[in-house]
Amino acid sequence: MRRIVHAVFTLWLAFGAAFALAGELQPFTGASLPAIQKQFAGRPFILTLWSLTCHHCVKELQMLGRLARSERSLPLVIVSTDTPAEAREIRAALKRFGLQRFDTWVFDDTVPERLRYAIDPAWRGELPRSYLFDPAHRREAHSGLLGEAQLRDWLRRNRPAK
Amino acid sequence: MRWRTGLIGVLAMALLPPAAAQQHAGHASQTEDAEARRQRAWNERLAIASPLSVGAALDAAGRLWLARVENRRLLVSHSADGGRRYSTPVPVTPQPEAVMADAENRPKIAVGADGSVHVSWTQSLDKPMSAHIRYARSTDGGKTFSLPAILNDDRQVISHRFDSLAIDGRGRVAVAWLDARSRTARTVGKSPQTDVGLYAAVSEDGGTNFGRNRRIADHSCQCCRTGLTWTAAGPVAFWRHVFGRNIRDFAIANLNGGPVLRVTDDAWEIDGCPHHGGGIAVDGHGNLHIAWFTNGEKRKGIFYRRIAQTDFSKADARLDMSAPLALGDPARQAGHPAVAAVGERVLLTWREFDGQRFSAWAMLSRDAGTSWSAPRKLAEAAQQADYTLPLIDARQALVVWNTAAEGLRVLEVRP
Repeated sequence: MRRIVHAVFTLWLAFGAAFALAGELQPFTGASLPAIQKQFAGRPFILTLWSLTCHHCVKELQMLGRLARSERSLPLVIVSTDTPAEAREIRAALKRFGLQRFDTWVFDDTVPERLRYAIDPAWRGELPRSYLFDPAHRREAHSGLLGEAQLRDWLRRNRPAK
Repeated sequence: MRWRTGLIGVLAMALLPPAAAQQHAGHASQTEDAEARRQRAWNERLAIASPLSVGAALDAAGRLWLARVENRRLLVSHSADGGRRYSTPVPVTPQPEAVMADAENRPKIAVGADGSVHVSWTQSLDKPMSAHIRYARSTDGGKTFSLPAILNDDRQVISHRFDSLAIDGRGRVAVAWLDARSRTARTVGKSPQTDVGLYAAVSEDGGTNFGRNRRIADHSCQCCRTGLTWTAAGPVAFWRHVFGRNIRDFAIANLNGGPVLRVTDDAWEIDGCPHHGGGIAVDGHGNLHIAWFTNGEKRKGIFYRRIAQTDFSKADARLDMSAPLALGDPARQAGHPAVAAVGERVLLTWREFDGQRFSAWAMLSRDAGTSWSAPRKLAEAAQQADYTLPLIDARQALVVWNTAAEGLRVLEVRP
């Protein structure tokens, strides 16, 4: 009995920790994108940037939520350009769209323009903004809503190696 | 036994996919919680004690007037010595309220030849992105202000934001803004149009009374600042419109009536929020001067152009416009341009960012925008910085720039 409880508890701890990490909103700094690229070394991924104040971003998150339901291994990184003070609301929005299991980040700099510039000097702050990184991490930038069909097509072409 | 069921329940919650776990909780209370969280976060966003975005104007005597937000109060003060010393700030808002002062949003101020001081602003409401357009004025030289009025006469808790203000100097006051009221009248989602348009209110008696709201245009972009200037034929607004399904270029319209005239053709098609508008000013001859940002197919960056004087209220108004003139260094993200004019002199200003530091830039024309001085860097900022605000009269050309580390700066642009 004791052993069963112990095993269950250990399992719970392990899984709980894994979920906590996925649901954790991480502070995005100038060093974050290189770290993310390292994490996805040799693999494709989608970097999507959004904000609570952006009208169109809601549609983008809805679409990604839909995609995430059918693509369990979607290589998605979600970055909010809001502030860490808004973490609660950011988490609530991600949860609403079923996106909390992904790598989620929030801009953490008193001068957010620095972070924008570090990601891409050609990005002028329009939202939503996304970058599609192929396995060699050549990236395709996109401003405005991503089409679901376009994204599914990109995923087919850049299917992560098993 | 009960504790084990509980433990298994917890385990199940941890193992279930998050969407399923969410369905576990009561759906109604979940929505309520989310709504409450949205409101709390929105209020936190507005609670910044001393936001950087300010409004500025010159009066007939060349004194500098400032409108700024401190601890949820809108304060007005003035300086007779170019910003070295200011009068004691006077509150315009008798009660604390959420005055939007953040990038594309800032309080607006204008001072009439008779010394009347006019202030407009956007008051955020609890529901995210909802707001009222507010106005107050002083007839005693800024010592006291009238009780703030709400100008959007529908009073709905929806988006009325991005106000702009202009006065004619002889008792007329105009305020224009972006308004989402047509959204409620239409089946949302079925219309190919955006849910926002340009609305305005005009006063003929110095701001005591405003006429009914005027709908100037439907189908505008949702979150770029608007601009307004008073021409001989009435107030002319400048805003990012949506042409066709989704081309986000700029338009002008006379608030007294007349067509929506397209004044930029950059072909910026984006299903998104630029958060980056432009400015307008009229010179002594009635020419319009506009400055704007685009990321379109045809051109990218910030641009200036002159629109020769004509009757902008005529349905068949033909526009004589100069070619777009690129401003600033695109590699340094030149952005947020603004323009001011008096007589034949026109002042352009914008902000640049090199990845670490912001800088304030300006250039001056003494022939109504035909030729320009070389662009000049006026100052740098080590930390966060507001947009640059141009002010011009017969004696001076100034750029007001509020910066987090260095404070509020009044920078002179010498010819």
